[in-house]
Amino acid sequence: MLHVSNIVVQLPNGKRLVDQVNFTVGRGEFVGILGSSGAGKSMTLRCIVGLTRPNEGEISITGCNGKTYRTTNVKAQELRRARRHIGFIFQGSNLVKRLTVLENVMLGRLGHISPVRSWLLGFKDAEAREAMVALDRVKMAHCAARMAGSLSGGEMQRVAIARAIHQRPLIYLADEPISSVDPRNADAIMSILQPLSHETPVIGAFHQPAAVAKYCTRAIGIRTGKIVYDGPAQIAPRQLEYIYGESDGDSASLVWESDAQPPLFNSGVEAVLHEGVTV
Amino acid sequence: MGSSSKEFFRQEPPILDSKFLDWKFLEWKKSIAGQRGKQAVIALVLVLLVALTAWRCNVDVQSFITGINKGFPLVGMFFPPEWSGMADMLQPLGVTTVMAMAATILGMCLSLPCALAASSNIAPPVVRQVMRAFIALERGLPEIVQMLLLIAIFGLGAVPGLVALSFSSIGMLAKLLADAIEEIEPQMLEAVAGTGATRSQVIRYAVIPQILPALFANGLFRFEFNVRAGVILGAIGAGGIGYVMMTAMNSMDYQKACMATLLTLTLVFFSERISDFCRTRILDGGTPR
Repeated sequence: MLHVSNIVVQLPNGKRLVDQVNFTVGRGEFVGILGSSGAGKSMTLRCIVGLTRPNEGEISITGCNGKTYRTTNVKAQELRRARRHIGFIFQGSNLVKRLTVLENVMLGRLGHISPVRSWLLGFKDAEAREAMVALDRVKMAHCAARMAGSLSGGEMQRVAIARAIHQRPLIYLADEPISSVDPRNADAIMSILQPLSHETPVIGAFHQPAAVAKYCTRAIGIRTGKIVYDGPAQIAPRQLEYIYGESDGDSASLVWESDAQPPLFNSGVEAVLHEGVTV
Repeated sequence: MGSSSKEFFRQEPPILDSKFLDWKFLEWKKSIAGQRGKQAVIALVLVLLVALTAWRCNVDVQSFITGINKGFPLVGMFFPPEWSGMADMLQPLGVTTVMAMAATILGMCLSLPCALAASSNIAPPVVRQVMRAFIALERGLPEIVQMLLLIAIFGLGAVPGLVALSFSSIGMLAKLLADAIEEIEPQMLEAVAGTGATRSQVIRYAVIPQILPALFANGLFRFEFNVRAGVILGAIGAGGIGYVMMTAMNSMDYQKACMATLLTLTLVFFSERISDFCRTRILDGGTPR
């Protein structure tokens, strides 16, 4: 169970990137967070894993044994303990490119290994075998010995999921896992994530309402840091329009400005040019 | 849609107003003239600087010409090289090589912790500032100056040479490595830290694998440099082939000096070839694809 209550992320100038976000995610749920770029989807996920400290609010994760881990208002050591139980799948490439694929998967367990052992001995064979099983779940076992940097974007994303699986977390967080991959790979990744959610809740930030409708059990819509929708994954078109902010024409005007050419040959400018010649 | 865009490209480009072209031409002339003016000013300043230094340092063209006239016959005295002296020079040549190698390895080992402490994404700001200042100090002192200071401490011999070369190796390698560490994508570090890993584990599994190729490539560069610097340090008291050359020159044994020069050239040539070879091997093995 994940409880997110009233978290606020505020810039020094007072602008709120995440504004009073509240939600609870339980067993069997696959939650898709939707919203336009900069709405606060990624920031919310980063707060949950403690990479960004929210200015207000509380986040806690409860395991099936009743133990609770917090990622807000805790010391570094306690935060690390909580992070062991959160499988974070980052947007884009986040593997250590000069390690092998299997080593990257095994990094998921670093939190359970003492630093001394990781410097002197490294990983055990038993851990490597377990990591192979995780790698097989994302259908990447054939690449175990390759360098992570030689994989394609979609393959990297799948290895990143294997790393999270190997971690055996209490919750999976996926930050735009299908944004940088082609549609076929996106389908493959979504059908890896979906069965994971039967055992462990999965929360993902997405840009594809269609994928959310197809695979997720619940959708959350975020607009300018606030939750504006929380309900079934199949969202009505009108509600979608509201999530993506029809009236908020910011992105549209940006595109126009960058594409606009200086109107060289209209009459007003020509007059200026002629003056220039006489100078 | 498709046919209309084809039509658009088949059209002649619009004929520009000739006044517009004139105006653009004048603009171009102006900018060229501005550039020429700037270049002339820079050239004048450079000439003035050379003249000023020549005047202040009493550079005498006459002595330069007489030196060349005297020097040319001297060149003949270097030949033929004293081949028989080669056997005796192999040992000092080895001393120089070993000194350069040991200094490079020591420098590589010690530069890693220094680089970690000097990079903004690993170390706290205070530690970083202190370490950067230390590295700047090491880089600011030329090897020869370090050597002269160290001779006062250790006395003459290979030890001060080794220490001087190691120190300046740390200075260079730590700076390059720290820059390489700061270029690691933050997401990569966050992804490892996000699993609950400690900072030392992040260093072990994300930072070190990423910078190891840079460490070896730069270390090999530094080895070449250390061989050449080792010859110079040898001349001012660290022993080795540089010292042999120095004594030969001082006792006007030019043919022996020529032999030492040839051996030095060979050493430098081969150290560069070997380090080039290793570097391509490392980079090919380490880069993706």
